[in-house]
Amino acid sequence: MGTIITVTSGKGGVGKSTTTANVAVGLAQAGKRVVAVDFDIGLRNLDMILGLENRIVYDSIDVMEGRCKLSQALISDKRSKNLFFLPASQTKDKSALKKEKVRELLEVLKKDFDYIVIDSPAGIESGFENSIFLADEALIIATPDVSSVRDADRVIGIIDAKSEKAKEGKEVKKHVVINRIKPEMVESGEMMSVDDVLNILAIPLIGVIPEDKKIISATNVGEPIVYDKNSLAGEAFRRLSRRILGEDLEFLELKSKRGLLGIIKGLFS
Amino acid sequence: MSLFEALFGRKKKSAEAAKDRLKIMLAHERVHALPYIDDLKKDIIEVVKKYAEVNDIKIKTEKNQDIDFLEVEIVLNSPSKD
Repeated sequence: MGTIITVTSGKGGVGKSTTTANVAVGLAQAGKRVVAVDFDIGLRNLDMILGLENRIVYDSIDVMEGRCKLSQALISDKRSKNLFFLPASQTKDKSALKKEKVRELLEVLKKDFDYIVIDSPAGIESGFENSIFLADEALIIATPDVSSVRDADRVIGIIDAKSEKAKEGKEVKKHVVINRIKPEMVESGEMMSVDDVLNILAIPLIGVIPEDKKIISATNVGEPIVYDKNSLAGEAFRRLSRRILGEDLEFLELKSKRGLLGIIKGLFS
Repeated sequence: MSLFEALFGRKKKSAEAAKDRLKIMLAHERVHALPYIDDLKKDIIEVVKKYAEVNDIKIKTEKNQDIDFLEVEIVLNSPSKD
């Protein structure tokens, strides 16, 4: 039986879809059979980040409403042969997702895949509930700013209330991924550090992703950064994926490339 | 404080402000997320209704270090004077 990992955040725009895409690719590259599922109904993005937008014929709502078979809607990724993608519907409204239909779909996927990685919509409305209620694990994405951390805290607080696993007395594994760390700002005291955020959120860390311009270019061309062997963010996502698989790996040491003033400052401190 | 800071002065860094503000904010908010708070409120109203007329009930929760507070304020209808 596969594991359902829901990628969520509370605040929008912190990197949920990017993380979903990269974790899905990372897990597939490690040999697992993976399906990335976009649950952001009406506002899908995962398709473009994965570079699969041109291959969509059917979506998850079509499957749930019986207009097509699951195998017709699943898109196989050409670069990672173990990776499949199930797109969200773009036209229908969010309430189109029905809980019991979602359950049926996810149960079928669990039989066929090792990992089901769900990109959840922002916010804590019904779309969030549909993405989380069957999750075995949750990745909470936060950037080191007050709004994102505050909303992440809210989401962490309601995951158990929405989860069926928690209702059965089992634990939904919750981990935080801290995204868009800018080392030079952390060093100068103008951005909260990883430790600051962890201290506030009080759930274990599973990934630290540095701010990396290459992520924008990767998204531009629809090729997740995790494929890029020379990128720091790519390496961070590879490590994140391997930690999900249970490996105990060190976190990347993120340091700024210091300018002259930084070097002088460093001499004095 | 480093020598650099001693020489060039130091004002409170914004990251520290962010931390402090978040800690205070979340101490108030966390408890709103208690899953049973609405049910608890309903039950308290039911109990109080047995004895008095209730106008309003305010439930405040707060988390401070290791202590959780639950503050319940019940506004009773003042009994008629005839």
